[in-house]
Amino acid sequence: MRQKVQQAVSPVFLKIEQLDEDKYGYLLVAPVFLVLGVLAFYPLVRTFYFSLQDDDLTGVHPIGEFVGIENYVQILSGDANAILTSPFFDLQAPFSSALIVTLLITGVSVAIGTILGLGMAIILNKEFKGRRYARTIVILPWSIPIVIQGMMFFLLFQPSLSPFVEPLANLGIFSSNPLISSQDSTIIIILIDIWRKIPFIALIIMAGIASIDQNLYDVAEVAGATKWQQFRLITLPQIKPVLFIGMIFYTISSMKIYGIVEASAGCSTVPTLTCLVVQTFRQQRWATASAIAFLTAVVIGVIIMVYVVRFREADAS
Amino acid sequence: MGEVNLTDVRKEYEDVVAVEGMDLTIEDGEFVTLVGPSGCGKSTTLETISGLTTPTSGTIEIAGRDVTTKPPKDRNIAMVFQNIALFPHMTVYENISFGLRLRNFDKEEIDRRVENAVEIVQLEGMLDRSPDELSGGQQQRVGIARAIVREPDVFLMDEPLANLDAKLRVAMRTEIQRLQKELGITSVYVTHDQEEAMTMSDRIAIINDGQLQQCSPPLECYNRPVNTFVAQFIGSPSMNLFDGQVAGDALDVGDFSVAYDTAGTPLVDGDRVTLGVRPEDIYLASDADDIAHPSTPVTVSVDVLEPVGDQTYAYLLAETDGETTELLMSLDPDKEINEDETVEVVFSRDDVHVFDGAGDAVVHSLVDPSAAADDVTIEGEA
Amino acid sequence: MSEQQYSGLTGRIVKYAIHNSTDVYRLGFWVGLVSFIMITLFPFYWLLVLAVTPDNQLYQMGIVPDNFNVGVFLTVVQEYPLHHYIFNSILIATITVIVCITLGSLAGYAFGRVDFPGKGPLLLLLLVISYFPGIAFLIPLFELLTGSLSILGTPTPDLYNTPWGMVFPFTMLSLPITIFILTTFYSQIPDGLEDAARVEGTTRLGALFRVIMPLSAPGVVTAAIIVFIGVYREFFFSFIMTDGSPENWAVLVYGILNFQQQHTQMYNMMAAASLIGIIPIAVLVILAQEHIVRGLTAGGLKE
Repeated sequence: MRQKVQQAVSPVFLKIEQLDEDKYGYLLVAPVFLVLGVLAFYPLVRTFYFSLQDDDLTGVHPIGEFVGIENYVQILSGDANAILTSPFFDLQAPFSSALIVTLLITGVSVAIGTILGLGMAIILNKEFKGRRYARTIVILPWSIPIVIQGMMFFLLFQPSLSPFVEPLANLGIFSSNPLISSQDSTIIIILIDIWRKIPFIALIIMAGIASIDQNLYDVAEVAGATKWQQFRLITLPQIKPVLFIGMIFYTISSMKIYGIVEASAGCSTVPTLTCLVVQTFRQQRWATASAIAFLTAVVIGVIIMVYVVRFREADAS
Repeated sequence: MGEVNLTDVRKEYEDVVAVEGMDLTIEDGEFVTLVGPSGCGKSTTLETISGLTTPTSGTIEIAGRDVTTKPPKDRNIAMVFQNIALFPHMTVYENISFGLRLRNFDKEEIDRRVENAVEIVQLEGMLDRSPDELSGGQQQRVGIARAIVREPDVFLMDEPLANLDAKLRVAMRTEIQRLQKELGITSVYVTHDQEEAMTMSDRIAIINDGQLQQCSPPLECYNRPVNTFVAQFIGSPSMNLFDGQVAGDALDVGDFSVAYDTAGTPLVDGDRVTLGVRPEDIYLASDADDIAHPSTPVTVSVDVLEPVGDQTYAYLLAETDGETTELLMSLDPDKEINEDETVEVVFSRDDVHVFDGAGDAVVHSLVDPSAAADDVTIEGEA
Repeated sequence: MSEQQYSGLTGRIVKYAIHNSTDVYRLGFWVGLVSFIMITLFPFYWLLVLAVTPDNQLYQMGIVPDNFNVGVFLTVVQEYPLHHYIFNSILIATITVIVCITLGSLAGYAFGRVDFPGKGPLLLLLLVISYFPGIAFLIPLFELLTGSLSILGTPTPDLYNTPWGMVFPFTMLSLPITIFILTTFYSQIPDGLEDAARVEGTTRLGALFRVIMPLSAPGVVTAAIIVFIGVYREFFFSFIMTDGSPENWAVLVYGILNFQQQHTQMYNMMAAASLIGIIPIAVLVILAQEHIVRGLTAGGLKE
């Protein structure tokens, strides 16, 4: 029996032996791309297909007839705002508009987070006693479950609970129940995002810093450059590509924020784009939800494009 | 028994033909070196023999069996690599015995063979070490032991000494030769270093642009190169090559000419030729008595002298009407010669080679008619 | 540099700073380090304080509690199936890790060591997946994995409320980073080992499994840890693919959220539950800090 199996299989193995390297490579990556084809590429295509259909709130399957880009038009023009739990884009209610809120959160978080992450990267890159422990501690915010990230700050800003709410309210920074106010909550979400993203981007930047040729610093020191000048003229330019990559990942991740919102202030208070999709999905409006999902992807794509263009420009100069 | 036969082997990749029309026979027990410049196809040829690559067309036979489509493990070959390729996570013992363990040999047999191999390469007592504890030379010897231990039909060696330092390389060269003689296993050796090829081989196979140029014993490649490529590739410093043409009863290269009667050769008046003279076959005119058949003297100026100890290399310039031809001469270090001097030199006519317009050899001596190139087969006699 | 005159104390400080820039620099370093650590740890500290505060003092909390009620942790575990949720999380994360590593190893090996055209575009394709928000996959995946779809007449399996309903989406999300990390590690193994193995007697695949894979162990560990962390902390698909009860494989997400929704005033229990939920990851981070650093920095280098 074993021999029969071997005999049946051996031509296959022989073929593998004789394959040119190209084909061998393709053979090895085929399984992964097959799996991803089913689990990733197919869903993306189908989501797009859904977005071109109409919602069917009454039938068995929530997808109705083909309506072309009508969903997109309705969302972008604001007509859909009435049926959505929060408007997609409404200049008159900026803190309720998913698009505006998400862009705001992302913009501020990435800006502040990158700078702080850069600082942390520089600090953690130095050799000092206990660096291991420092790194361990600092990784924690990024690595803990998202739901707990949200929960922590939920508890930090509960008015009846936290001793911080009152003083902050008195200082005029926050209202007396920050988690109910859209404005305050948006700021809190930004805080959470920065808090948890700093180690993530710091580690990515650390890779870049570690790969800078140390000799460059020696040369600069001999030439009389101060530490700040060394940072500006050697470190920063050398880590630009890594910084760029890190910021892209950071931005993508912030644009998708959902969990920490759900676990703290709630989607009705801070309607991020993903929040909106989930709620629309829960309303059984699958088609509209799909359209919003794709719009989110498009927005992210545009932002990445901007990054790439600006990076190319900065590189060229 | 361990004969290797390549018949019309061709290996083509998408946009490039790496090897073409390769016919080569390596006799049992012979040490043949595949040599040529980078990218000439020698490594590809070796890969088809090893089975790591399947040829596009043609056949490979080892020990009388057609192995063209067989994977490396079924060819009973062993290979020593340039980057040594010891398995980092295994000890020396495990590295050497890897192939034997795969084939389920008896533990006693494995031990016996490993002991034997380790003794031959002089690495006793190192069996428990791991590769990163060994020097480059030791690592390469482990690689050789690994190859010996399976008693293969053929040894394949792909530039095994290229990553070692110069002194070690020379020492290992001798060791490999000694080993091969002792074990008598057919060996195919690849290198780009023609000196290595000359010193180690029974025959040298010179490859250029995917095609075999000549396969002959070292001295024959040296004295009777089959074309200008081989002539220039073998021998260091390289043979001087002068382009010229047949002019009556002389070969005229522009800045000088050499008397030669082309009767009896395929050359006729006006044909393009290339003259080849090795640096050691050029002499000072004052030493003309030392050679059997000196040519007429050529006047040159001495441009640069390079004394390298056992020889002095003299870069000479022959000039007429603003045109210059450069010649490289090697001479005894105690000869009287100075830079910027004008001297006269002569060629040893016995050792002047003539190549036709296509670069193929016509004669290897201006004197001895039996030194005609005739149809020296690309594969010389073993 | 012109020396401006500053007066008084400010002047002396500035002068000191300019002349002792190394010291100032070092001071800045330590201030920075301590600040980062404090900012990082504060929310954890707050959780701890909150958790051990007895019920009746919840509304008069200061920064340091007056009384300690350490029993709250026991209460949380006994009265509430938190441990079940955590167990589900760990199990599902582990399964995902195994699936990802198995699939990703072959691809990582190919990208890292085999020469074939189109590597760049294929890797880019992987990257593109990680750039779409999870929602873009959600609806068809939900359809596919809950039996709402029919392919050639047969319905797709209903994996709602099963571990596989989460493992599949997690695998999809984790494969790109797995492959990136593994590719980096595989490409660092010395060349030519497969050729040597094949000449010695292995098959092509044999060389891969017997020689190369053992050497890729550090990379595999790193990838496994990164994937585990990613799955354990995930929010989105964890939430959607199950109805929230621990028998139905709900993971930690629900364990914590249910406190918010069902036991609204039990803040100290919420805090305690959160802390307990953190323990598995904290242990992992402490033990594997080097691997995590290596994994994330590999992401930066892969550019």
